[in-house]
Amino acid sequence: MILRMVKVRLLGSLTRLPAAIRALQDLGTIQVVASEVDSDLVAPVRRTPAQEREVRMATSALADIEHVLPHLPAPVISDDVGPAGRQEIAAWARQARRFRRQADQLTGHIQELEDELALLAKYQDLLKAFQSLFDRAEIPADTVSFCVTFAEGGEQALRELRSEVSKLSGEPLDLRVRGLPTGETAGLLVVPVASAQPIEAMMSAARVEEVRVPPSYRGESVAQALPDMRHRLELIPGELSRLRSELEGLVSAEGGELHLARVALNDRLVAEQAMQLPRATPHAFVVEGWLPDRDRDSLQRHVSERFGDDIVVEFLETEEWEDTSAPVVLSNPGLFRPFETIVRFLPLPRYGSIDPTPFVAFFFPVFFGLILGDAGYGIVLVALSAGLWRRAEPESTLRSVTHIAAVCGLFAIIFGVLFGEVFGDLGTRTLGLKPLWFHRDEALLPFLGLAVAIGFVHVVLGLVLGAVSAFHHQPRHALGRGLSALVVVLILLAILAAAEVLPARFFTPIVIVILVVFPVLVFAEGIIAPVEILAALSNIFSYARVMALGTASVMMAIVANRMAGEMGSAVVGVLFALLFHLVNFVLGVFSPTIHSLRLHYVEFFGKFYSPGGARYQPLRHWQPGAGGAQT
Amino acid sequence: MEYVWISFAAAAAVGIPALGTAWAQSRIGPAMAAALAEKPELSATAVLMIAIPETMVVLGFVIGIVIMLRPGG
Repeated sequence: MILRMVKVRLLGSLTRLPAAIRALQDLGTIQVVASEVDSDLVAPVRRTPAQEREVRMATSALADIEHVLPHLPAPVISDDVGPAGRQEIAAWARQARRFRRQADQLTGHIQELEDELALLAKYQDLLKAFQSLFDRAEIPADTVSFCVTFAEGGEQALRELRSEVSKLSGEPLDLRVRGLPTGETAGLLVVPVASAQPIEAMMSAARVEEVRVPPSYRGESVAQALPDMRHRLELIPGELSRLRSELEGLVSAEGGELHLARVALNDRLVAEQAMQLPRATPHAFVVEGWLPDRDRDSLQRHVSERFGDDIVVEFLETEEWEDTSAPVVLSNPGLFRPFETIVRFLPLPRYGSIDPTPFVAFFFPVFFGLILGDAGYGIVLVALSAGLWRRAEPESTLRSVTHIAAVCGLFAIIFGVLFGEVFGDLGTRTLGLKPLWFHRDEALLPFLGLAVAIGFVHVVLGLVLGAVSAFHHQPRHALGRGLSALVVVLILLAILAAAEVLPARFFTPIVIVILVVFPVLVFAEGIIAPVEILAALSNIFSYARVMALGTASVMMAIVANRMAGEMGSAVVGVLFALLFHLVNFVLGVFSPTIHSLRLHYVEFFGKFYSPGGARYQPLRHWQPGAGGAQT
Repeated sequence: MEYVWISFAAAAAVGIPALGTAWAQSRIGPAMAAALAEKPELSATAVLMIAIPETMVVLGFVIGIVIMLRPGG
């Protein structure tokens, strides 16, 4: 249900305004709004220059802390973080700036070294290969060495190079080669200085690739760069380790304090934002806000304990479901609350309209259970949900989803027992289970009738809720919705009478009533009314998908079981059957979810749901992850 | 021979709407994926948009069943 809200006004001495805002922040139930007091005597509360400075300092310190947040460990914050005072803000701002500078320097340096290490690591195999080639024999003084690589299968190029170079230099070629792990071949070509230039040109024409040193060693030959690169490779890990431990030391020394500062500064800024909403005279302030009606007493008590008679609480009005500016608070019993997740996929319902959560909490698992309808799959789903539920954080979306899945699994078990299905027909074939109601794979028409009947109930319920929802503000529309529901019921009764399910003598009176009601319906809803009736009827037939998907699900399970006996080998058959059941289980969870959602969002919500509610954002203390600032 | 034609009709009742559904979803799917990349809050709309064309094949399936279950089917 949507909670009734009350508009509340607090009046007091202007000097107590910061304390009043802190008290409301402690209470955490009032959404402070811009005051609507219309008088020349009141004006928005202005910050003093000192307060402006504090806010700027806090904002800048927070920016520094957010910048270094990835380096900080997970926060461990106690609940009693006090409000940040002027001196604390200044100290935290200095600390955050210094920390940011030092952390940026260290991380920048670490990044550079990591990049260099990654680059040298790419050269590591080449380095080893060429070092061994250089070590094989001394390089004569009047020679030039070329370090080259040949692609995999480049023996032909190697032979051609040998012959061409020998012809050019007129001497036997000093070419030392070694295979690389990549399949390429590293070659060290040592040639006399006089032949160097033509050989280089020849290699270039033959597209023999000369090894290039990393950019930081530009200007050096491979022979010159090799010792330096090996030296850096040995040095960098130690240097990295020193820098990392320096960063860890910095973080462990100041990380906790910075987390504390983050909470306190955010908390202060939340209060500062809220402080801009009240109005004030030179001596008094007025704070206005929305409060759930059920929290009236706790507000009175809280203010009275903190301020005695210094601050007066005035309840302006109990909102009678008319003011659409009132924020919307959904409040449902614990069993239904997780189903609010399904409603929250859509924009919040408008204040004064109907919260569909309790209806979703009933019909969604029913549709899911009808479609999956298998005790075996249901047990697996409940077990999986229970496992995930234990791992999920309390109040998290995952916790809600696992709750919904467990309830859906429970309904799948119930309908599985009614339909006599445990992993398809496995229960029937091995344990001799019999359905308490009917076999879905045989009684197709009764199943279709059941699906459409449930659709009828669901759509008519939607129309009735639409009438109730519009009753206060749009009585004519409410009348239209109510008559639509009546006409849909009458049409169904007429069909049943025509098919002689009901006594045939009812047919004519029912048709006469429809003809009488129809003009009133057109008067209430306009010329669109007949179209809406047709839409409602097609919506009802849309529920046939429950039967279609349910039948497909049971057929798949039966095929999986048949596979075990058809494969020749029992082991292969069982493996195939298990795989098929797994696929069917995944489809059997996914498909009913999507279609149950669709039946709710389109067929059901379309009849009464009016979105557009404002989110309830009470003034409360800031918390990491959850926030707390009302915007 | 009649049984063959009945089976063929039932298969066509499911198959032709299935092709229509597949074509519609092939257009809607990428469009919704692109929309979700920019506005993740449209996830409920995405579910609806994807599921809406499936009505065709669902009703086709029901018609197929009715064809198969009719006398002589």
